[in-house]
Amino acid sequence: MHGFAVFLGKELKEIVRTWRLFVIPGIMLFLGMMSPIFAEIAPGLVSSIAANEAQGIVIEIPPATTVDAYLQFNKNAMQIALIAVIIATAGAVSAERRAGTAQIVLVKPVSRGAMVIAKILSNWILLLVATAVSATLCASITAIMFDSSLTAEFAKTVVLWYLLAALMVAISVFLSVLFNSQAGAAGAGIAIYFVLSLASIWGVAREYTPAGLLGAGDKILTGVPDVPVAWPVVTSVAMAAAVSALAVWTFRRQEI
Amino acid sequence: MSAAIEIEGLFKVYKEVRALDGLDLSVPEGSVFGFLGPNGAGKTTALRILTGTARPTAGGARIFGHDVVSATNEVRALVGFLPDVPGYYPWMTAEEFLRFAGKLFGVSGAILDERVGSLLEMAGLAGVKVRVGGFSRGMRQRLGVAQALINAPRLLMLDEPTSALDPMGRKDVLEMIAALKGKTTVFFSTHILTDVERVCDTVAILDHGRVVRQASMHDLKREGHASRILVEVTSGAEELEQLLASRPWMVECSREGEIVRCITSDVEAARRDIPTILASRQMALIRMIDEEPTLEDVFVEMVGRKA
Repeated sequence: MHGFAVFLGKELKEIVRTWRLFVIPGIMLFLGMMSPIFAEIAPGLVSSIAANEAQGIVIEIPPATTVDAYLQFNKNAMQIALIAVIIATAGAVSAERRAGTAQIVLVKPVSRGAMVIAKILSNWILLLVATAVSATLCASITAIMFDSSLTAEFAKTVVLWYLLAALMVAISVFLSVLFNSQAGAAGAGIAIYFVLSLASIWGVAREYTPAGLLGAGDKILTGVPDVPVAWPVVTSVAMAAAVSALAVWTFRRQEI
Repeated sequence: MSAAIEIEGLFKVYKEVRALDGLDLSVPEGSVFGFLGPNGAGKTTALRILTGTARPTAGGARIFGHDVVSATNEVRALVGFLPDVPGYYPWMTAEEFLRFAGKLFGVSGAILDERVGSLLEMAGLAGVKVRVGGFSRGMRQRLGVAQALINAPRLLMLDEPTSALDPMGRKDVLEMIAALKGKTTVFFSTHILTDVERVCDTVAILDHGRVVRQASMHDLKREGHASRILVEVTSGAEELEQLLASRPWMVECSREGEIVRCITSDVEAARRDIPTILASRQMALIRMIDEEPTLEDVFVEMVGRKA
């Protein structure tokens, strides 16, 4: 992979010096900060709405706990953050093609594989840092507002979310190789995520495929014993590697 | 002289369109080579195949003996390339882009510092701190030539480097290319004839995906020179034009005031006949000369239409 280190350096510099620094990290930081706060105010909000809409009926909602704060984070990360990750990475390669930078760079001794893998790896690094900071922020605020229990369970949940997000990055970059339009690639990526969510209802898929990562976090946080995550983890890692390889193979066969 | 580029029987077919139709070409090392053709003739397609961003349907191409399809990294190390519309990362400065390009070629340390400095100077971009996203077209093209030289290439390939520029921008880029004469081989595609006349020493004329003529600028003009005669008389040019038009050696005849221009199929016969005709009609001759054609004349003759 000629030129990989140089191209990865350019990708990381680009993250720091463009909008890319603010989108995913911004969303992750917001979720990390607000999830415990939403969890805290949600029962009060629901009670007051219910009291206004159905007068005379008293609905008692138990006060929020640490579990609720972490569940809120996991839910937001699985929905808002993952969709944002798919959209933000869906133009990774196609943007280089459209802007003409692929043409000026790929006539130099840098392999197409290096370009694709640098794109995937740089986004994994960005996501890793954003996830770590966001989760730390969430755990800190939760500890202040509630207590510091369930930290290990929360960490496991975050790791599982990161694996799923990393897989979606690989899929999204692959789609950006296939499609010239970022919107087209993002649409296809969201459709794949939707299919994965549907598959998580099916027991076999939940047990052996990345679909199992979708509900595993909630189960771990709510104290379900022995949540089976080994196969979903292994197949997610394998699939991320396979999709990355497929992206490289496809890009090598394309004309620019 | 060895060949920097050798192309043999190159075909490129896009669905129904035959962009290259058995292209044969040999670019001598050390030349400033004009790859001339009207829009859609196949120039960019040929360059895309040479740079490895497109694959040929059939035929082959070699750069300094390396096959462009199988030996991509060996070829790329020897070549600098400027696409017709160069794309840059808008957040970089010119210096950052040159450093990035240099590192991709494995150039580093003092050599990279020295090359970046001299190329920024040559491109007139030294001290420019504006990011590339804010550059004018002229600045982008000059940076394009500079980045294509960062690896001190044996072959510099430029795709329509002046077509989108204003006269000042064109002048700057052509001066940069002219300054490379004798230092590296320059392969320069364009449809602007005057640019080729200004900087190139060898030309290939491409039409409908194949080379219709390849020669040195000198030979190309000399061939045209031998077949063109200009006759100026004091009066009677209209009658002279009619008389000359009926001669068997006449290909094309035109008149402008008292000047008659002839393109002949047999220049020796024309040189014998014209004085005889003038004498028989008692026309006073001001001058009769072999006329040097412009590249445009040659091009139109080859391609059969105005460029």
